[in-house]
Amino acid sequence: MDPKILEIINLKKKFQSGFEIYIGHLTVRQNSILVIIGPNGSGKSTLIKLIDLLEKPDSGIITFDGTEITESESDKAAVRKRISVVFQEPLLFNISVYSNILLGLNLRKKNLSGKKFLFEYLIAKLDIRQLLYRNPKSLSGGEQQRVALARALILEPELLLLDEPLANIDQPSREKLRNDLFSILKDIRRSTIYVTHDRNEAMLVADEIAVMNNGKIEQTGIKGDVFSKPANEFVAKFVGVEALIEGRVTSCADSVFEVTVKRADDKNSGTETHPKIYAAGNTEISEGDNVMAAIRPEDVTIFNVSENPEVFRNSSALNFFSGKVISIEDIGFLKKIEIDCGFRMVSFITRNSVERMGLAAGKEVGASVKASSIHIFKR
Amino acid sequence: MQLIWEGIKQSFILIFSGNREVLDIILLTLKVSGFAVIISMLMGIPAGLAIGLNNFRGKKFIVSLINTGMGLPPVAAGLFVSVFLWRSSPLGFLHLMYTPTAMIVAQVLIATPIISGVTLAAVAQINPKLKLQALSLGANRTQVLWIMVKEAKLPTLAAVMAGFGGVISEVGAVMMVGGNIKGQTRVLTTATVQMVRMGEMPMAFALVIILLVLAFAANIVLTLIQQRDNPTWIQKFWR
Repeated sequence: MDPKILEIINLKKKFQSGFEIYIGHLTVRQNSILVIIGPNGSGKSTLIKLIDLLEKPDSGIITFDGTEITESESDKAAVRKRISVVFQEPLLFNISVYSNILLGLNLRKKNLSGKKFLFEYLIAKLDIRQLLYRNPKSLSGGEQQRVALARALILEPELLLLDEPLANIDQPSREKLRNDLFSILKDIRRSTIYVTHDRNEAMLVADEIAVMNNGKIEQTGIKGDVFSKPANEFVAKFVGVEALIEGRVTSCADSVFEVTVKRADDKNSGTETHPKIYAAGNTEISEGDNVMAAIRPEDVTIFNVSENPEVFRNSSALNFFSGKVISIEDIGFLKKIEIDCGFRMVSFITRNSVERMGLAAGKEVGASVKASSIHIFKR
Repeated sequence: MQLIWEGIKQSFILIFSGNREVLDIILLTLKVSGFAVIISMLMGIPAGLAIGLNNFRGKKFIVSLINTGMGLPPVAAGLFVSVFLWRSSPLGFLHLMYTPTAMIVAQVLIATPIISGVTLAAVAQINPKLKLQALSLGANRTQVLWIMVKEAKLPTLAAVMAGFGGVISEVGAVMMVGGNIKGQTRVLTTATVQMVRMGEMPMAFALVIILLVLAFAANIVLTLIQQRDNPTWIQKFWR
């Protein structure tokens, strides 16, 4: 495993408004990309300022490349010179684009001569060659952010901090810049913290993900784990789990848990008529625990039960539910199908499948999910 | 109208005939106001930046003081300087009263609040996140200040213009601490007052016209520096 370039332990910062940031433990491994996702106002940008030593924490430890950062201003300045940051706003100075790109190099007393190749690569990749001698005020928001990215990347930082660099850009420019930026990040392979509230961006670029909410890290882990095994309801909702089903573990055998679903209209404690969900995996859970089952819509397969009611018998999936289509919604090239199976279930399927199966609101369907695709966590 | 026309004619004659007295007055005016503005710039710009870019307890009070100072009546400035430089005053031993140095001190007192006040207002308009960006790029505190001055270049030059305009045209303070002594502390404004008192109206007009030309020339130079990024036809012509 790569060594850590950054480690944060028990970092705390309280603001006059009462908002508090507390980071128990967070690490960034060398040459890996950590994506911090979370809703607006969750403290992501403040955390970036704390990491870049632009905000002073109330307490806690930040270790950069194995050395703990002290209170000394000269130490902080020295570490800051090994990091570069791109904020949500491009924050360009009132000098030419070319001078803006070289400003960091000049301030860090570095020469462009050894970086000619990188400079050429960046201005070509970010498509800013024709902008070099213009004043930033005459550029669009997207162009300005391209310049800000070039200015940060030319420094070849040991840690690159990208604080929602695509957030203030209009949609078409945003997609183009996203592709260009992610391609550069792949090429240069630097230790990076990328902050975003867009989980699709996180999916595309992250090695590891930290989910932040209300000043705290709710979950960290490798990308696949956070998306498929959310630690709690907030993370599950934030990473796009459409169906979160409340229930109780009624049995457990061979690491397969039987969860009896709590119905919305539950009045008595009887469970015999309640649907059951089978989930594999989570060893921290035992019989009798109240749990949430998280089912990702892309893991749900829909069947036309009217044509073949026994279709599920030939499937290896442990979970097969029957229900009625409640609604069908367009979500780009896919359709979102909402089904009432005694609980709410959501599936994403192609337009083609919707037409082929003749799906419409009110139609009886079956839905199956593998036990290994259902993640359960304690409530 | 006849009076103005006579004044214009007189001013040309006075300048181009090489009248020693008038040339001395012009040079002393430029020297006193020039030094005063340079000293005020050196104090007022960093002070305006430091106050504008930082938040600290008592900031509002200091800003209020500066704003009050921007409207300081020249006679009040003259009185303060006199109180300190008068022969029996604490700094009387320096024998600066009725010297160009005393006039410079009085004008510094007038121009510094103007320059720092306008600078302060100018940097307050700069996006505060630019300071963070400069720091994150590796700037130290001095470099941050310099970058901020460049960001506020246009309004800062406006501050210098306002300061220069304030001192070159004032009469109360320089009259009080300079004494309008012929050949020693007489500047354009005090000489104008003297000419009006003596009923020498064409001469007074001539001095005022010279004063206006000097103020205009100084402001043209500053405007050209200020708008160097957007060359005007006159700059292109000079290039």
